[in-house]
Amino acid sequence: MTTFDDHPRPAGHVPGEDDSALIEHIGKTGRPFYLTLAVLAFFVLLAAAAYLHQYRNGLGVTGLSRQIFWGVYITNFVYFIGISHAGALIAAILRLAKAEWRRPITRAAELITVLALSFGVLNIVVDLGRPERVLNLIRYAQPLSPLVWDIVAVTVYLSASSFYLYLSLIPDIAYLRDRGTKPRWFYQSLALGWRGTERQLGFFKKSSGIMAILVIPVAVTVHTVISFIFAMTIQPMWHSAVLAPYFVVGAIYSGIACLIIAMAVVRFAFRLQNYVKPAHFNNLGILLLVMALLWLYFTLVEHLTAAYGGEPNHLVVFWSKLSGRYSLYFWAMALLCFGIPFVILCVRKFRTILGTSIASAAVLIGMWLERYTIIVPTLTTQRLALGRPLYFPTWVEWSILAGCLSFFVLLFILFTKLFPIISLLEIKEGRDEAVADFRVRLKSYFPAEAPGSSGIDNGGESQFNEHPS
Amino acid sequence: MAVPRRTFLKGGLSAAAGLWANLSFQSCSRGRSRDASGTEADAVPKRWAMAVDLEACTAAQGCRECIAACHQIHNVPDFGNDKDEIKWIWTAPTNKVFPENERLFPDEMAAASPVPVLCNHCDKPPCVKFCPTGATWKRDDGIVMVDFHRCIGCRYCMAGCPYGSRSFNWKDPRPRIARVNVEFPTRTKGVVEKCNFCEERIGQNLSPACVIACPENALAWGDLNNPASAVSRAISARTAIERQPELGTGPHVFYLI
Repeated sequence: MTTFDDHPRPAGHVPGEDDSALIEHIGKTGRPFYLTLAVLAFFVLLAAAAYLHQYRNGLGVTGLSRQIFWGVYITNFVYFIGISHAGALIAAILRLAKAEWRRPITRAAELITVLALSFGVLNIVVDLGRPERVLNLIRYAQPLSPLVWDIVAVTVYLSASSFYLYLSLIPDIAYLRDRGTKPRWFYQSLALGWRGTERQLGFFKKSSGIMAILVIPVAVTVHTVISFIFAMTIQPMWHSAVLAPYFVVGAIYSGIACLIIAMAVVRFAFRLQNYVKPAHFNNLGILLLVMALLWLYFTLVEHLTAAYGGEPNHLVVFWSKLSGRYSLYFWAMALLCFGIPFVILCVRKFRTILGTSIASAAVLIGMWLERYTIIVPTLTTQRLALGRPLYFPTWVEWSILAGCLSFFVLLFILFTKLFPIISLLEIKEGRDEAVADFRVRLKSYFPAEAPGSSGIDNGGESQFNEHPS
Repeated sequence: MAVPRRTFLKGGLSAAAGLWANLSFQSCSRGRSRDASGTEADAVPKRWAMAVDLEACTAAQGCRECIAACHQIHNVPDFGNDKDEIKWIWTAPTNKVFPENERLFPDEMAAASPVPVLCNHCDKPPCVKFCPTGATWKRDDGIVMVDFHRCIGCRYCMAGCPYGSRSFNWKDPRPRIARVNVEFPTRTKGVVEKCNFCEERIGQNLSPACVIACPENALAWGDLNNPASAVSRAISARTAIERQPELGTGPHVFYLI
């Protein structure tokens, strides 16, 4: 089975004969699909019922109270927007770093970004007391409010990511159109007349490059601004400058974890073993390890400075997390966010697909707990709290969380029924151009060789020969 | 063909941004000019403030007259539990109200002694800064107001207030109001509310309900910019402290110790 070949491709891309696996999952609906659909749809409908109940009867149907007025929904909001950083990192940063192994995973990463952002925003609307007045946020936007900055930042990020996702889809949609995939009108109209001409490809490459660069500062800004929602208040253990980089790191951390699990599932479900290799999970696992260490760093910095400073306001919150009311959540978070992932990811032998998936699952649960233990303990213990009331989320809040997660997965799956989950153009580009590009780059920073020697120019020895990665 | 498209996009985005900035600015300036209604331009602007005489207050003996009066005329509901409760003025233990002033109240009984607390109508109200829709704003006479129709119920103002002065309507309050005062609006579920310094009474040249209801005359109130007002005389005669002054909020409810 050839994975690379030396014949130059025509400008309009056509995947190789053996690449049928890349599009086999499109339009294919069997028993497993309908079963999954049914389970997910159940939770989505449950969440809808829960929200209707809340809309009719007020937010009092949740566990929230006068003292602890932000809880699961705001946690979800920060959590989902955190996960959206998968796209910014993989699609953008790795692209700029010219890491070729990113090619099969960019599409999934961008898709996760768009979906996660949408669910983040949805949770804010769910949390509003008067959601029908949500447009007041636009009509009467008060520019000093971090929530308004947040709206601007998230809107820009969502628009940019959606555009980036769609842009990268166009060549693949055109391919499906040319192949006659049904419904024809769907792929016809979405392809926007893409013919794969030199000019279109040039425009495509340039736009992708620009978008990749733009998305990075936007992504950093988004999660910084989200941290400002808490950091700009004068509440103990919220009002901290370190919250901004802490949130950004946490976002990238949970984003990579989500991506690993998505790729593992996709690889298994759609039999894409040829394209998503153990090496990908090894590399993603190393990135996850780096983020785990960064996460630990910021967690330690935040808690040590609060504890050492010894301000009574801060200490009350600090101790409630370490040994008090919230110690169970806090230490579970520490175990899930660092303990388990670190042990797994440190050892090369464990950085397998299964190993990184387990680590990622732990991270995804742990990061939700992390957001929870940032938000709720501060509200519980400060401001005349007299030991009541505790916060116990109700079925409404849990249903909405379950519904959001299910709907997220559902939309992801529906996407794979319509579009390739691995970018065809990325694979083609990887095959056609990556080796040549790589050779040119190597030459630019390796010393020149004597003529006749085996080296970069002359096909090279094995370490410079192409290998299917 | 490429140049006109770019120009169009640039122009379109600038127009949209300009329109939005204009609308935002309008809403901001509308907020600033939302004055006490019907007042003429005073030579010296009013600045309403209150002083609570901790020695005269008999909350420790169970008096809750100020709370009853306020909650009755403002249609504050009674939900009967801590979770949903709404309170505009209430009592809290001294050592919680003045947590950084423990040395002033070394006696254990004094530390637990209840103190009336309410919205401080700060000079630099953090709640106003955080409200994303401008539904809360500070009037020129110092009263921090809430617009129950514009509030979207995000509760960010509650996160901003370091004193916990604000309450949220978790449920429909109307069934839980003992006796509706038809001269004051009731609220809906999903909006935030708090003490409004009886601005509707001030507008009719009346004193706040809590001030009048107090049987010990422990609440002094008036225009801080007028040295002859009750509150000005009260805080110049005795030692007056504020709640958490180090936060820089500039509260205008003083406590005479």
